[in-house]
Amino acid sequence: MDLGEQIRNKAKELIEIETVDCVIGYERATDGVGARPLFAYKPEEVDRLIFDQTCTHNLAKYLLNRKDKATAIVVKPCDSRAINLLLNESQIQRDKLFIIGVACPGITKTGLNNTSEELQAACQICQQHTPVIYDFLVGEPPASEPDIAEAYADVAAMEGQSAEERRAFWEEQFSRCIRCYACRQVCPGCYCTECFVERLDPLWVGIRIAPEENEVWNTIRAFHLAGRCIACNECERVCPVNIPLSLLNRKLEEEVRELFNFQAGMDAETPAPFATYKKEEVFPEIG
Amino acid sequence: MAIEYQPKIVGFLCNWCSYAGADVAGTSRICYPPNIRIIRVPCSGRIDPLLVVKSFQQGADGVLIAGCHPGDCHYTEGNYYARRRLALLRPFLEYIGIEKERFRVEWVSASEGKKWAQVVSSFTDELYKLGPREMTLAKGTG
Ligand code: SF4
Ligand code: SF4
Ligand code: FES
Repeated sequence: MDLGEQIRNKAKELIEIETVDCVIGYERATDGVGARPLFAYKPEEVDRLIFDQTCTHNLAKYLLNRKDKATAIVVKPCDSRAINLLLNESQIQRDKLFIIGVACPGITKTGLNNTSEELQAACQICQQHTPVIYDFLVGEPPASEPDIAEAYADVAAMEGQSAEERRAFWEEQFSRCIRCYACRQVCPGCYCTECFVERLDPLWVGIRIAPEENEVWNTIRAFHLAGRCIACNECERVCPVNIPLSLLNRKLEEEVRELFNFQAGMDAETPAPFATYKKEEVFPEIG
Repeated sequence: MAIEYQPKIVGFLCNWCSYAGADVAGTSRICYPPNIRIIRVPCSGRIDPLLVVKSFQQGADGVLIAGCHPGDCHYTEGNYYARRRLALLRPFLEYIGIEKERFRVEWVSASEGKKWAQVVSSFTDELYKLGPREMTLAKGTG
């Protein structure tokens, strides 16, 4: 039985016995190649659910719109970490959720009108092939996980450059940002009703077109996800000007792992690094 | 005519210890470089990394955060939280090309006027050595 069929069977059962009133999953996009999100409320809508290596979207974001409604959701391992993040931060309720987890073989670069067998960058270095939280699991995880050192090879290369080179690199990257905020809108961790970037008083990020204004946005966006980013890489995927946002996110991820021995979204209980402290800890870099 | 480089430092000092410590330095007439602009905050726990990034964006050559020694925070735990955020911020700034020597976090008590003066002096010296912080791309206006 293929993954899509297992998901459809489960989803139909959940809708029919009214465990949930909506199943959030994927359906084939109108280009006939890619996938797009599907909100299935009726048994016949459930028939459109699919799952394959084109199902890239992190659907956990949509749970923020359905906080007190019984919902079933299809999640990949990275998306399942987003659910833990949102549970940990008291944004959603576990008893309203039915989680259909998919052991994930990795998602390809297939996008709008474009078929590709190649895995997305984040999937090539992914360490987590089984969802960390689920009620029902489909699929088989691949046999081996990539080496953790590989996951940060590009971060290490960046660290190896001089401050001047890094400065020039990031300025060039940030200068291309058109501040569409797609990276924020797609991120499951970005759910504030008011974002610092839209504050007018004080105006933290000036509206004029200037690389140094973008810099404030791009660096603080990443920092607000420090210890919270669950590495779905949706932000980088949706960026229309291809800014390597994961190169920022994974630097923070690596530091958080080293400084606080913490990885976001692995469970729903461990307090986030900035929500706690230890009196006896020492940080050689400061003080 | 070239204007001689004078490092600009933005200092965020907690009201209860470090600001009082800087006051002691003043009333005891201890000399230290005038390169620092002091902003008084209620507690080092108030320091949002945004304030630091914004200071650099507005042209600071260095940013200094000073608060009560761990264990002495007026609000008991503000500096314990601050310390975690700032310990992560420093390597992150370094990563995006703001040398970590430009960002300092120091614990200065209300009686440590001398330490305060030393901190500002050594930070200013270091910033002289590093030179001005410049953007390589053309600046926007305004
Ligand atoms: S998606 Fe890219 S261009 Fe849009 S705001 Fe984010 S970084 Fe800037
Ligand atoms: S910052 Fe990017 S990779 Fe991290 S959780 Fe948000 S969208 Fe996903
Ligand atoms: S009051 Fe000084 S650090 Fe909290």
